Amino acid sequence: MIFLSLLKILFLILIFLSGSVSFSLAVDLRELIRTVEQQYTGQSSISAVEMTVVTGHWERHLYMESWSLGRERFLIRILAPIKERGVATLKVENEVWNYLPKVDRVIRIPPSMMGGAWMGSHITNDDLVKANHIDQDYDFTLLEETNESWRIEGIPKPDAPVIWGKIIYQIFKEQLVPSQIDYFDEEGILVRQILFDDVQTVSGRTIPLKMTVVPLEKPKEKTVMHYRKLQFDVDLKKDFFSLGNLKGRR
Amino acid sequence: MLYQLALRNIWRNRRRTLLTLSAMIISSALLILALGIFSGMLRDMLASATEQYYGHLVISAKGYQDDRDMFRHFSMDKSIENVLKQDEITGYSQRLRSFGLLSHQQNSSPGEILGILPSQEQTVTSLQDSLLDGHYLTADDPNGAVLGSGLAQRLNVVPGDQLVFVTQAADGSIGNDLLLVQGIFSTGDIGYDNTLVLVPLAWLQQVLVLPGQIHEIAVKTDQPLNAAALAEQYRVNLPDALEILDWGEMLPQMREVVASYDISRMIIVTILYLATGLGILNTFFMAVMERTRELGVLMALGMRPGQIRTMIMLETAIMGSLGLLCGAVVGIALSLYMALVGVDLSGTLTPITYAGGTILPRLHAVIEPANILIPSVCLLIVSLLAGFLPANRAAKMQPVVAIREE
Repeated sequence: MIFLSLLKILFLILIFLSGSVSFSLAVDLRELIRTVEQQYTGQSSISAVEMTVVTGHWERHLYMESWSLGRERFLIRILAPIKERGVATLKVENEVWNYLPKVDRVIRIPPSMMGGAWMGSHITNDDLVKANHIDQDYDFTLLEETNESWRIEGIPKPDAPVIWGKIIYQIFKEQLVPSQIDYFDEEGILVRQILFDDVQTVSGRTIPLKMTVVPLEKPKEKTVMHYRKLQFDVDLKKDFFSLGNLKGRR
Repeated sequence: MLYQLALRNIWRNRRRTLLTLSAMIISSALLILALGIFSGMLRDMLASATEQYYGHLVISAKGYQDDRDMFRHFSMDKSIENVLKQDEITGYSQRLRSFGLLSHQQNSSPGEILGILPSQEQTVTSLQDSLLDGHYLTADDPNGAVLGSGLAQRLNVVPGDQLVFVTQAADGSIGNDLLLVQGIFSTGDIGYDNTLVLVPLAWLQQVLVLPGQIHEIAVKTDQPLNAAALAEQYRVNLPDALEILDWGEMLPQMREVVASYDISRMIIVTILYLATGLGILNTFFMAVMERTRELGVLMALGMRPGQIRTMIMLETAIMGSLGLLCGAVVGIALSLYMALVGVDLSGTLTPITYAGGTILPRLHAVIEPANILIPSVCLLIVSLLAGFLPANRAAKMQPVVAIREE
């Protein structure tokens, strides 16, 4: 499926380069962004991630394992440190739940808390829910094209329920991997950057294994997600992403 | 002699006098009542703003009240304790604050968690008097929670239910633990009823991994309207890293309300007495005109213009004093009734939150000296002014012309 969409992109690029069909440009960019936004999940995936969160007051390292299926299903569980082992997050469509082993309770994140930090990082619950819809909620235009990369601007559709005013992607042409994504608020001020690094080939795909989220209003802070293991197109069923499984009882 | 004449003149036309007097009495009595109710509302608002949450003074780390940053914490020490020993301080409460997610079964809602010592908190805020259900925290309660009615409704909890609280602790970890709902309060202020939860201080210190730390000390004094001066006085004795703010600094809108109250009081007094003054002026003018011949005779008999003027001024002064005396008595009586009984409007009105304070749906008066003195003094001035013009006119008349006038 991913492979197919890649082919489609290449095909569309070819059409575009031939200069005959200019209206296909929007579709082309949309597919490209979709690929970028889903680079870590694909159709299905299992991964092990090390997350480092640095703030002015503390620095933490979390080790987590995660599972995903399509756009809408996602489960991530903390393995270390011991104090938080078993804390897990489940996303199914637009809902997010957290499981807290200490009190053995599942908590649904209410809409008003979607902007809150996820696991104390600089990633919000909204990022988990909405990132997968960016290709649907935004309209894209090509800002700049060089020999190595594209710069693509995403502007939200008028009615889209989004939090960003503008997103600018920097994508390497050859490997189709992002190098940087800039997030602007509604006033057009750059508020967050995601930088990508450590590009490697995993399961036949080229992706950056390291992702650094930098909140620009807090210059000393950052969250680094480093994928230690990544496996695509694994055999996962929808019912794996259940509240029961969130608690770690399989 | 003039005094006796004035008295007799007053009682000669009783109907006229009684009409004038009643206008004076009613206007001043109603004004005293209105100002009393107005003061009552202001008192309610100030009390709700300070006694539901803030207290009159708050000691915290510099900048904490601007951003409520969890890391601006401090601990109690000797110098703070000494400041809190002052006579004007009637109570203080150490608090630790956290914002996070509260959850019960399928329901969850963001909330503000205030870690408190129950015995201290009750000396500053009066939430224990606003309980709808259950009871307040007790000193030995390890994980009790008293929360607002709106929040309780959203979470669908009653006393005895368990709540989960999740937040980010000071070490970055995911702080979470169970609370047991003990009581539900309703202040009428949506801001508190929908978000505020009181929990034991030690419980929150443990969840936030901030042992022995607090974010603020809320202080209650016996001079709420003098809080700014007290803050200034205590400031010098506090450690440099801490600041002390009065309620006017935490609730600047409320300070505006208090300031604008004095102005609106004067405006109301002016409007009401302009009307009353014109009425009194009218009656006195008529009274003098009617008696033109009589005054002419008096002058022909040898009364000097100055004496005529004094006599008429005496008449108005006597009526004014009588009016204000009766007006004050009636006004105080009405205010007393409204202070002791009041009128409950909760059937038709819901509480209104304005400038951080809550206007309760009730008419309730307080008796303040200024609210009685201002209307009384103004009434006397107005009636003297109203008497002066006709008195002056009468004094300037020629006896012959006056006698001939029909």
